[in-house]
Amino acid sequence: MSAVLEFPVKPEARPYLDAFAENAGEPQWLRDLRRRSLNRFAEAGFPSRKSENWRYFDLQPLAREPLPPGRRAIFSAGVLAGVLLGGPTHRLVLADACFSPELSAEAGRDVPGGARFGSLGAALVDQRETVRAAIADTALAGPLAELDAAFFSDGFVLDAAPGIEIGQPIEIVHVASGAPASLHTRSLINLGEGSRATIVEICAGEGRYWRNDVVIARLAPGAHLTRIVVVEEGAAAVHTALFDATLGKGARLDGFCCLLGGSRARQEWNVRLAGEGATCRLDGAFLVSGDDEANIVTAIDHAAPGGQTRELIKGVAAGRGHGAFQGRIAVREHAQKSDAQQTSRNLILGRRAVIDTKPELEILADDVKCSHGASVGDLDAAALFYLRSRGIPAQAARRMLIEGFLREAADGIADAALRDYLLRRLALRLGRLEE
Amino acid sequence: MLEITNLHVRLADGGDGREILKGIDLRVAAGEVHAIMGPNGSGKSTLAAVLAGRDGYEVIEGSVRYQGRDLLQMPADERAREGLFLAFQYPVEIPGVNNTYFLRAAVNAGRRHRGEPELDAGQFLRLVRAKLKLLDIGEDLLQRPVNVGFSGGEKKRNEIFQMAMLEPKLAILDETDSGLDIDALRIVAKGVNELRSPDRAIVLITHYQRLLQYVEPDHVHVLQDGRIVQSGDKALAAELERRGYGAFEEAAGSAA
Repeated sequence: MSAVLEFPVKPEARPYLDAFAENAGEPQWLRDLRRRSLNRFAEAGFPSRKSENWRYFDLQPLAREPLPPGRRAIFSAGVLAGVLLGGPTHRLVLADACFSPELSAEAGRDVPGGARFGSLGAALVDQRETVRAAIADTALAGPLAELDAAFFSDGFVLDAAPGIEIGQPIEIVHVASGAPASLHTRSLINLGEGSRATIVEICAGEGRYWRNDVVIARLAPGAHLTRIVVVEEGAAAVHTALFDATLGKGARLDGFCCLLGGSRARQEWNVRLAGEGATCRLDGAFLVSGDDEANIVTAIDHAAPGGQTRELIKGVAAGRGHGAFQGRIAVREHAQKSDAQQTSRNLILGRRAVIDTKPELEILADDVKCSHGASVGDLDAAALFYLRSRGIPAQAARRMLIEGFLREAADGIADAALRDYLLRRLALRLGRLEE
Repeated sequence: MLEITNLHVRLADGGDGREILKGIDLRVAAGEVHAIMGPNGSGKSTLAAVLAGRDGYEVIEGSVRYQGRDLLQMPADERAREGLFLAFQYPVEIPGVNNTYFLRAAVNAGRRHRGEPELDAGQFLRLVRAKLKLLDIGEDLLQRPVNVGFSGGEKKRNEIFQMAMLEPKLAILDETDSGLDIDALRIVAKGVNELRSPDRAIVLITHYQRLLQYVEPDHVHVLQDGRIVQSGDKALAAELERRGYGAFEEAAGSAA
């Protein structure tokens, strides 16, 4: 885009402005959305570490060496080896941020009638109003969400009519070829009244790339979404993702967020309990080593009475790794009988690792139960000796304790197969841990 | 099997530099059961901890040989793989680590060390069942995290179960009998008696004579203020019970 802009452009935004090209094949509303979003991003630039929400995350490497969106690579099925869930799933693969029919397993064809599951591209062709409304939601906060709106190339859409229960997990694989570029997807989960679904999102890749995703979820009254995210990006990759969920009356979100790989990985979950008696369980774990950074940032907004939140985040930092958890829980004035518990437990291995944990409760109602607890510590020396005294070598004993520490975060996942999958991923990551 | 010579030990740091063990001499041969008795603070648990390789102690003099090797040079986990087992006075709770998973890792670490093939899940379970039956212990502890939420008696039963699974050459039981009801005490005694064999040795560290009614020791030692002040056969335990530790304290005082 070469138009002269009437506002100052932040220098780090310039490469993205230059990379922007309007797609005449897209509907007008989408072209407008992209242009508006790009302008706002150009004006704002990257989030500053001065903003509280980005305090612990360093985007400087991206400012120094920009990664504007690039061309799509061609994938072979081999790239999926080792990361897939296993067992029967509805699978959709987003390869370099674009739906790959070849790598996806019959996406959209075998979900129960009344539910539509497929790529965002296909949903936009259908011109469904629900999709348009959610995708164009401009209330999504932050420059990186704006950047995503300007550039998203595809995404997934699950749109379930009321009362639809999708038994098998829906598996979304975000895979990167490693071409030096940024990858942007925007996805939508729309669950009708009383419907149920489980979505597992896996992010993996090789090389230096920047994945910047947005997932929007709208849960009608009584709907139940389980969403599990496993971030295992390549060692030089940057991962930033925003999940924005709104829960209607009596709706339930079971969330699990697991950061295991990537030089910089940040997951932000914003959950609004908009209807009375909505429930959010949000657990997570991060494991950083080398000089990697991982952030889990959550904001749960009790905007209606009787909402419940249970949050447990476990963090492990080794080497010169830096992990952070920022957890905000707000209870609005009329959200009486809200019940929220937040726990952050962290393990620091070695002298150079750092973990920041920052709980934040903002309570405006007077009849609520809210609590939070945070701890940062070392491995228990007595437990380590106990394991070694049974013949388990020191390193294996340490792994066992770290794994034991982390696995509690997965206890909330009801499906045993999914829980086992996560524990296997954790164990594999621990096997590569350099302390 | 075990030769302790003139062992002097103090706390490695944070202590006042005072010796806790002041010259222990002890020889334990294969096939023997030794009981080390003494009042609180006499150094019993320190001796067990130093033998098992717990950090925080400094050996300032003396030596410990185990199966002909310098025990003090071996890391704690290697001692265990070489057949040394310590039943803890206060077993440690380990959240998130399943008891069966932990024990299988321990058993297989020992097997790898000895060049034996590892047990798969099925073989391991059969061994578990056999040992539980032998000791008359239920399966209820197996699927729980190690020692988490166990009662005092359950923790001690778990120690004895681990001992049975690991089949050590030298088992040291640190006050495993204290605080147990009579049923738990019988399980401990059964575990020790099942383990007794000509190629194994057992050291029972205890405050009371009670366990010795169920496990007959070959040798009894009285530990007092960091020294073994008297050694004898099982009659010594009975004498201790009758006369109390005070009588030996005087004897030690006059000998010094």
